[in-house]
Amino acid sequence: MTELLQHLIDHIDPYYLQILVNSGIGIILALGLNIVTGLTGQLSLGHGAFMSIGAFSSALITSKLGLPITLNLVVSGCITAIAAAVIGMPILRLSGDYLAICTLGFAEIIKVIFLNLDITNRALGLTVAPPESFVPLPILVWFVVVFAVVCTTLIHNSRFGRALSAIRCDEIAAEAMGIQVTRYKVQSFALGAFYAGVGGGLYAHFMGYINPSDFGFLKSIDILSMVVLGGMGSISGSIVGATVLSVAPEFLRFMASYRMLVYGGLLVVIMIFRPNGLMGNVRVTELFLRAIGRKPHLNTIDREADRGDS
Amino acid sequence: MLLHPFRTVAFLSVLFLLSLTACSQQEHSGTATANTIKIGFLGALTGDVAMFGKPSLDGMMLAADEINARGGILGKKIQIIEADNRGDKQEGASVTQKLISRDHVIAIVGDPTTGITKVAAPIAQKNHVVLLSAGSTGPGVVESGDYIFRNTLLDSVAIPACIDYFANELKFRKVAVVTSDNNDYSVGLSHTFRSAAKSMGIEIIADENIKDGDKDFSGQITNIKSKNPDVIFFSGYYTEGALLMREARKQGVKAIMFGGDGLFAPEFTTLGGAATEGSMVALGFSPEQAAPETAAFVDAFKKRYAGQLPGLYAAQAYDGVKMLADAMTRANSSNPAVFKSTLAQTKNFHGVSGTVTIRANREPIKSPLSLLVIKNGAFMLKNKVPVKLD
Repeated sequence: MTELLQHLIDHIDPYYLQILVNSGIGIILALGLNIVTGLTGQLSLGHGAFMSIGAFSSALITSKLGLPITLNLVVSGCITAIAAAVIGMPILRLSGDYLAICTLGFAEIIKVIFLNLDITNRALGLTVAPPESFVPLPILVWFVVVFAVVCTTLIHNSRFGRALSAIRCDEIAAEAMGIQVTRYKVQSFALGAFYAGVGGGLYAHFMGYINPSDFGFLKSIDILSMVVLGGMGSISGSIVGATVLSVAPEFLRFMASYRMLVYGGLLVVIMIFRPNGLMGNVRVTELFLRAIGRKPHLNTIDREADRGDS
Repeated sequence: MLLHPFRTVAFLSVLFLLSLTACSQQEHSGTATANTIKIGFLGALTGDVAMFGKPSLDGMMLAADEINARGGILGKKIQIIEADNRGDKQEGASVTQKLISRDHVIAIVGDPTTGITKVAAPIAQKNHVVLLSAGSTGPGVVESGDYIFRNTLLDSVAIPACIDYFANELKFRKVAVVTSDNNDYSVGLSHTFRSAAKSMGIEIIADENIKDGDKDFSGQITNIKSKNPDVIFFSGYYTEGALLMREARKQGVKAIMFGGDGLFAPEFTTLGGAATEGSMVALGFSPEQAAPETAAFVDAFKKRYAGQLPGLYAAQAYDGVKMLADAMTRANSSNPAVFKSTLAQTKNFHGVSGTVTIRANREPIKSPLSLLVIKNGAFMLKNKVPVKLD
């Protein structure tokens, strides 16, 4: 089985494989932030820091405990989720800009902690040994991506997801309907962080070397741009956004020194022509149903979400 | 709805088609030709660390031109393939992979920073391509495998040589160490300094921490002042170094500053002014070195790049390409699996940045070390300290 999969991978150009894995990790991270920012409507600027918690715990689990990679990812995801819940409990009583600043502050604290811990080798960072895995890492990444997409879809359509959606639409109304706003917010925060932890773990093992400064403010902004560019609250949007933003810098490489100029321009143009994101207002299931000639059925909260109050 | 869903789908499919055509174009440019030897450049041409990457590329280009003007190596011309990695690790990995699998390079020179080199090294090792880092000084680089080399003056080699010189020639005894906590280069350098100082009888009387980006160092300097050191060893970069020295002079601390190549920038003296006078920097390269190769290199570099003086990174990258060429000539092969062994046997290679010998553990030893001192606001060569070959 392992040989067969490895053989399959050997047929793909390693450069494309690298980009594929980068976009895969981007999708996992974006899906996580999408739950917090897109679905629940809480602006978080600390997703990069949660990714670093996942990356460092995963790297340490590999070197100290030697758990298999799948279990490792689950454990590091859980550690990240617990950290997020602990951070989230006091700060999620805030909302809007205040929350954003607070998450930013916590992200900075986490970075400073990693820079001063001996176990994370301070500013020198950790070298991560390749994991022992029965499937090659790129396939594992995409397996996790598929799993994450399925889970996120289920969450979106669940009672829990509806409650988060209601919080985004109107916090007071949601509370009046019996939704414990802070509790749900903490849960969504922890859930988003779980994704970040898994993404961080995959990042650590795929890159082979991590450093606290890799997960600074800019990383959080990168992930946020994926979510916003794709379309807040849209799963397909997170996938498209993460893919576009991971592929674009490589795809634009033929422009040599104009590359980042064009990249920035591209973001501006997309946001002007698609202010709700690339996949904002686009419902993939609806399009699919129309394409096979069936009339889509939308319920009220979906229409509410469609109006896009991002 | 702002746009019709089908229009969106059309828009996306156009994007997709566009990307496909661009990909196939790239494939055309990636085909290898039989009569060139391709060497990849790994480094940042834009972003925060472009000041290391850009000169490296300049140095490599100059080396390639010189080799090609003399007929190339093994009858083939050298071609430098460049690609920017913005100083980002994920992009560094992609670029390394691109250089190997798209451009079919036989060797890569770079990255100038330790972090990206550590990400790129396992990829080069796995694909059996030689990677020679012309800039990374931190630990854990060549351990990635037998295709990984570097030609830099290592901190672990340079610092003991400096301390020896300080203790015996300048009679310094008491040192205050200042480290920038959020800078991997600084943490590594201070660590090396502490362990070397301990074994050579230099007393570390203060150990202070700052952060890159800090502006106020009055607390740290107050602590240092009470211990009255002969020299302040600062392992970080020039901005913080200059501000530290200004604060030190303000509080009446007489000690000079000593640091690594992180302090070697004109901004150190312009920012620090008179406070930095007499401070010293240890480097693997100085344009003032008297070796004939160096003088010729400085002239050629100035001629090619509009009078610009070459720095450490340009010289090391230049040497990197020349070392690879030397190894290929001796091996009579441009196959990385073959010339990696001759590269590992490099002995007393007379480069423009010093004489390089690759030890059995593939770590380089480079001699001499240039000790620069600031006189009248400019870096002057104080002494060339020989590095003992073991």
